[in-house]
Amino acid sequence: MEFRDFKPLSPFRWLLPKEKVRGMTADAEIIASEPILRAAADDASLTQVINVASLPRLVGRSLAMPDIHYGYGFCIGGVAAFREEDGIVLPGGVGYDINCGVRLLSTAIPADQARADLESLGAAILRHIPTGLTKKTNYPLDQKQFQEVVRHGAREIVRHFAGREEDLAFIESGGRLAVDRLEIVSRKAFERGDSQLGSLGSGNHFIEVQEVEEIFDPEAAQIFGLQRGMLTLMIHTGSRGFGHQIATDFIETFRRKNISRLSLPDPQLIYADIHSSEGQNYLQALNAASNFAWANRHLLMEDLIAICERTLRQPRERLGMRLVYDQAHNIAKFETHTVGGREMKLLVHRKGATRAFPAGNPDIPAAYRAVGQPVIIPGSMGTPSFVLRGTPAAMELTFGSSAHGAGRRLSRHQAIKVASQFNVREKLKERQVLVFSFSSQGLKEEIPEAYKEIAEVVDATTGAGISSKVARLRPLVVVKG
Amino acid sequence: MKAFALFATTADVGIEAWGRDHRQLLRNAVRGLNALLFGEPPPSRGRTEGRRFRYRGDSWENVLVNLLTEALDQTYSRQRRIAALRIRRAAKCSLDVELRLAPWPCRPRAEVKSATYHGLKIIRRPGGLKYVKIVLDV
Repeated sequence: MEFRDFKPLSPFRWLLPKEKVRGMTADAEIIASEPILRAAADDASLTQVINVASLPRLVGRSLAMPDIHYGYGFCIGGVAAFREEDGIVLPGGVGYDINCGVRLLSTAIPADQARADLESLGAAILRHIPTGLTKKTNYPLDQKQFQEVVRHGAREIVRHFAGREEDLAFIESGGRLAVDRLEIVSRKAFERGDSQLGSLGSGNHFIEVQEVEEIFDPEAAQIFGLQRGMLTLMIHTGSRGFGHQIATDFIETFRRKNISRLSLPDPQLIYADIHSSEGQNYLQALNAASNFAWANRHLLMEDLIAICERTLRQPRERLGMRLVYDQAHNIAKFETHTVGGREMKLLVHRKGATRAFPAGNPDIPAAYRAVGQPVIIPGSMGTPSFVLRGTPAAMELTFGSSAHGAGRRLSRHQAIKVASQFNVREKLKERQVLVFSFSSQGLKEEIPEAYKEIAEVVDATTGAGISSKVARLRPLVVVKG
Repeated sequence: MKAFALFATTADVGIEAWGRDHRQLLRNAVRGLNALLFGEPPPSRGRTEGRRFRYRGDSWENVLVNLLTEALDQTYSRQRRIAALRIRRAAKCSLDVELRLAPWPCRPRAEVKSATYHGLKIIRRPGGLKYVKIVLDV
């Protein structure tokens, strides 16, 4: 598949009609600038978008966001929707890290005043919060407690651990999806996850302390609680081993039940009917894993607030710490969308893509309905992150979806090779970014050079109209798993 | 004959494995996973304990993924690595094996979420060797 096979609908929308490739049952559309699309043609991620366009009963188009890059099954940045009444569900359209997502907090702490404490803050975060592969946990739970957490998500954390009821409104889906039949989650999943609540994980997961560097949309920024020069805190992590095992288990279940009768362009695209028993079981387990991830990020947020209180020697009320939003970027959810003038209940799969609902949508916090849902796009280590807001164009073009991050450009091996030429920590220090991690290999794998330019991804996102810029956040402290 | 090699795609890593037959291929894939997680070859430390693993799949690829999934479960849930495989039976897409498990020699270098089916196909190379390339989500 080549770049020239795509027809430009606009400078940031590219269409591959279904007639172009045998087996496609729907068109494919890439939201991207021309350079991003050319790069996608080189790394074979376009083939993955085409494979999704070959699935049965796809509604609309197989979509990819501007952070498109090669995954397995779906590309990263992939979005696909199926009708609730007769459609299919695919674990490969969600990914193994179910409800990997991002949480953003705003503060009333001027970055200038906090500068002297940043080193202590980073060190305290790394000391206290379990990162990487460790059995250390700040929240040892018995089986019953853990079950309640995966049943009730962030709500359970507020009920029994820490946090405020009012924060739940600022989490996608209120931090909880319905779980009625927990018995369909395997013992292995529980074993992998039960000591990991309140932990960061590894790889590209992080906690960042940032400064609001620039405001593009003063009205939305004020509503989101973002002020120029103030600190923000960002958490990126997911459902850890609990979610990974659930995804693994259900890919196997789907294979056992369906592989013999399906012809798949990629075995990782194994699917089941939404209303089959395995489809319904997967959706229950997906919800449980999603609840774990929201509970996890909620606990991490509360830990982070406590660390800030101790390090900065002020209570949270004085620090003005407030949850801006928590959003998922690996998930499948039932949503109502208008397609061809008709309202439909769809199962929208987003793998490395975020929801981006516009102003007026009833599924976003009431406080944000005047401007739209925050869309948080983290940069790579040491580069800026962006806050955008959802737009009506996103609902029209991408089932209310947007980009989720910078997207990798180099493999881990390539990144390690590049990083061997300099001292990663020192180089970031020159950019006034303090990095904290127990894993020097992990830092090398995550150097900024390994990722696409975040500004390019954001420009394509806003160029296509699916989100609108609100603020840019500059990293000051990065804690990596 | 090369036993295994590690490779990387943009977002993930993977193992190439070779074998005269399925038994050897599976053994070498596990060796590759150990190399990815713990370095190659990991120093032997401590006693090993036995654990039986039996699986009947729809294909050898399916058996391979499930064997590696078991290895990952042992790694992350029980802090064990597969030090050796004593294969009792490997035939008709089924595997009956005693896993000899040893403690972690060191903390794993990567958090592997799962072995995937992406592009997974065991093929026969010229000379009769079996070959597979398996992508791991990290």
